[in-house]
Amino acid sequence: MWDAINVGEACVESAIKQFLPPCQKQCPVNEDIQRTNVLISLLPEDPAQAKDGLIQIGDYLFENNPLFPICGYVCGVCELGCNYQSKGGSIRRRLLKRFVSDFYLNYMDKKKEYDIVKDKENVAVIGGGPGGLMCAFHLSKKGYRVTIFEATNRLGGALWLIPHYRLPKLILQRAIENILRIAGIEVKYNAKIGEGKLTLEKLRKDGYKAVFIAKGTPAPRVLTFGRDFVENQDLEGIVYGQTFLYEVSRGILVRDYLGGKKVIVIGGGNVAFDVARSARRLGGDVTVVALEREDKESKDGIPADHEEIQGAWEEGIRIIYSRGVNKILGKEGQFDGIVSPKCTRVFDEKGRFHPVFDVNDTITMHGDILIITVGQIPDKDILKKEGLLDEYRQLSVDPLTFQSNSKDWVFIGGDVRRVGFMVDAMRDGQEAAESIERYLKGLDLKAGRKKEYEGSDIPQLKDADYKHEPNVVWLPPDKRIHFQMFEKGFTLKEAIEEARRCLCCGPCVSCKACISVGIQEELSSVVVHESFCSGCGICVSSCHYGAAQLKAVNSHLVSSTDMFKCKACGMCVSACPSGARESTGSDMEERISEFYASL
Amino acid sequence: MTEFTPKLVCFSCKFGWGYLNTNGYKNQLKNLIPVTCSGTVDTTHIIGAFKEGADGVLILGCPDSECHFQTGNYQARKKIMLLRKVLKEFGIDSGRLKIALSIDPEGAQIPVVIDAMKKEIKNLGPLRLAV
Repeated sequence: MWDAINVGEACVESAIKQFLPPCQKQCPVNEDIQRTNVLISLLPEDPAQAKDGLIQIGDYLFENNPLFPICGYVCGVCELGCNYQSKGGSIRRRLLKRFVSDFYLNYMDKKKEYDIVKDKENVAVIGGGPGGLMCAFHLSKKGYRVTIFEATNRLGGALWLIPHYRLPKLILQRAIENILRIAGIEVKYNAKIGEGKLTLEKLRKDGYKAVFIAKGTPAPRVLTFGRDFVENQDLEGIVYGQTFLYEVSRGILVRDYLGGKKVIVIGGGNVAFDVARSARRLGGDVTVVALEREDKESKDGIPADHEEIQGAWEEGIRIIYSRGVNKILGKEGQFDGIVSPKCTRVFDEKGRFHPVFDVNDTITMHGDILIITVGQIPDKDILKKEGLLDEYRQLSVDPLTFQSNSKDWVFIGGDVRRVGFMVDAMRDGQEAAESIERYLKGLDLKAGRKKEYEGSDIPQLKDADYKHEPNVVWLPPDKRIHFQMFEKGFTLKEAIEEARRCLCCGPCVSCKACISVGIQEELSSVVVHESFCSGCGICVSSCHYGAAQLKAVNSHLVSSTDMFKCKACGMCVSACPSGARESTGSDMEERISEFYASL
Repeated sequence: MTEFTPKLVCFSCKFGWGYLNTNGYKNQLKNLIPVTCSGTVDTTHIIGAFKEGADGVLILGCPDSECHFQTGNYQARKKIMLLRKVLKEFGIDSGRLKIALSIDPEGAQIPVVIDAMKKEIKNLGPLRLAV
């Protein structure tokens, strides 16, 4: 097996503008997706031999994204950016990562703790969700003494609200426990900021030089119609989605809890579908009522992922699109039904949430349980008390550095700042760690941080040469009405095959997989000897990456190489009929002539 | 008369053949030239090899549709097919130029395929160019 040299060589360089593979551009933490895909594609097909390589891939991912074993189950944001999307389906990066994760977790339990001297300042992280963990990990790795203050008795935050059929409990627990152990992060459980004596000032007095607040959105958003609160939300039988998922995760709601009950779920996001599918698994007869339209492509399309909607539909969940709720009906203090008008528009021309209803077209639906899942909001009272809100009751934070505008030693990120995917919170945590380090060192917080990336184009092939995505294997609907995983992961063979399908759109400098495992000594490039070039353009047609181009020099055409796009494969060199192109940095020609001389 | 040992040149793709072999197989096999992609092997390299005294040329590339650079192996195969026809016209048996498209991370098969081809060339005898 190779011995990969992973000294951060491929890390995204902090140039002002740089090309990246589109998946990496899409990923908020810019994970080295292409590099690890290439490494997976190079693994031997024998699992015993591949194990060592897989651990090295895992170690590499762990350094920047210690939460990757969890991402492999729940994320997949990168797949939305994949160039392959329109040519046969995105590379199934999430499943590739889940494959690495399944191998890596066993090893992770034995992975050695980092050997770091913790001689730097004390930093407090409030909230132990993905944002807080990411920030704590990166600071701890650099020698800061980090303590996480967690309001509950377990870390993971909103990750616990992801049903176990998507993210098994054991994976979540093991991943987090290992992060704490490996990076040496301290945790204070049941320590809720704003409760008792625990305030920001107290933390400061206790010697914490900086604080990162990532306390998430613990409060559910209440149901409104237009600007008005919909009455009766306190009836028996009405619950908010977040509370419901929390109770499911705690094991309070057990099998058949909703047996024979008619459940109505309000909402069209992924969380609403988590709720609906969990309710179905608890025996409920579930109907989802979404404000948005069925057509995901339209401006008013439903935000939940296609896979969630399909999964729910297969499991026998009814989905009613384009309906809002303007009245909740009750009978003797018990929930009885909803009155639901047609929604004719969700977002206005400027893209703001501003639904319009046709009250002449209403239906009444009856049910036993109503679960309202229309979003989450932060607990603003504490933030206000701590003086972190502006006059409009909004968080006052610098969007680049996440530094509070009112207290320079406080940094805020994650869902509390803006509700997003898990990986959005992780990005906030990672960036806040960078800001905190700069702040404590007295450096400029902003210098050189605004990065603009451009996604590389897809390599040009004949349509028939693009390969179709592999099918995802799910348990059949009637066999998956439980809280175990129903999606089958890749086998080693399938993972290698899928990784080979990756077209490696991005430039070599952001990957360098071949160098890390010693296939190539260095990145070579291709130069053009203009005096030999006739401008015929054969090189242009031989290049899949759009790197060989013709440019006009003094009224005639000369070939040139776009170094950002060139992979130095040498296809143009061997195609050029006049020897005008030459690979540099490659010892091939030298070796050949040396060898011929010895014949 | 001493026994004829064929002189064989082997170009092997670094992404498909022997990349997991860390024991320096490149140095063990003196007649092996690792290349970035089989597609980079030029006709001039092949003709050059024959001109300099090689009795055979073997190219090892990745399996169909699995080239790291998309179609390098296909380009190589196309080139070899055509070149074999041209060489035949010059009296060079097409058995002296071969391409194998497969994958072998450990590189254990490299000496095997080289030896197999050497045997075939042995039957053909040393290459005698007209010029």
